[in-house]
Amino acid sequence: MIQQILALIVIIFFLIRLFSQKKKKEINSNEFLLWLVFWLLAAAAVIFIKQIDQLVRLLGFSGTAINILVYLVVLALIYQVFRLRLAIAKMEKNISELNQQIALKK
Amino acid sequence: MKIVCVIPAFNEAKNILQVVSAVRSYVDEVIVVDDASRDATANLAEQAGATVLRHVINRGQGAALRTGTQAALKANADIIIHFDADNQFQANEIPEVIRPLLTGQAEAVLGSRFLTKKSNLPLTKRIIIHPLARFVNRLFFKIRLSDPQSGFRALKSEVAAKIKIENDGMAHCSEILYQLFKNKVKVTEVPITVTYHNYGQSFGGGLKIILDLLIQKLIK
Repeated sequence: MIQQILALIVIIFFLIRLFSQKKKKEINSNEFLLWLVFWLLAAAAVIFIKQIDQLVRLLGFSGTAINILVYLVVLALIYQVFRLRLAIAKMEKNISELNQQIALKK
Repeated sequence: MKIVCVIPAFNEAKNILQVVSAVRSYVDEVIVVDDASRDATANLAEQAGATVLRHVINRGQGAALRTGTQAALKANADIIIHFDADNQFQANEIPEVIRPLLTGQAEAVLGSRFLTKKSNLPLTKRIIIHPLARFVNRLFFKIRLSDPQSGFRALKSEVAAKIKIENDGMAHCSEILYQLFKNKVKVTEVPITVTYHNYGQSFGGGLKIILDLLIQKLIK
């Protein structure tokens, strides 16, 4: 129970930060929505941890719900890093293009 | 027949004067692309008589070659030569390298360190890195050439216009080979001599090339 409350406090902290970033226009709407859904799902997972435990057992997994959640979060993070890498590669390509245009104009 | 030599350079103040002066005797114009060097590379290249283009930020040899090739095409070059700035190639081999283009025997010529002439290749490059690079070229691009990573090449302008160098870093060598074969360009290899003043591409650098090629495929 205490662990659940602590986890919810952490999630609320990140949600407050998220709303403050949105208010200051530091992130765009898509990014805001993505993280909002992420933290709300995380909060739901913490609140309904027992039900998820039952579901996990029903599906035949040997681990507890919290283990499965950690695995899922790791997978989500790996996917996010992959996406970021591709986004950076695209941005670098654009920078090179700009660099070339400047060099050729002079 | 206008022959333009493109030399990408980054912090090559030590060699650029000598390289440009040597190359100038064999071509009509030398274009040096200074890839945001922190030393006097650009000024020295200009002093030696090269047309100098400056990158405002360092983007790598592939990016500099792309800029230089575009500039050469704009300058109405008929033949474009890619040459390194670190004094490892011999300028007096330029006539041999462009000969197959002049005689119509080929549309692209690649200098090879593994044919008849002797280069002082470091042992690990000869027995590990280059065989591995040849294997990667065969695996990714189905290309069989004696030299998988030579930076000394000559292209007819029509061919240079077709080649789109996407990789900013060192993966451009494999990329150029791939595009030459994809576009069914008549390619030949000519023996060249390379004098290594430093080790050049390391094994780690080779792995980065493979990673760059993979990322390039994914972001297309």
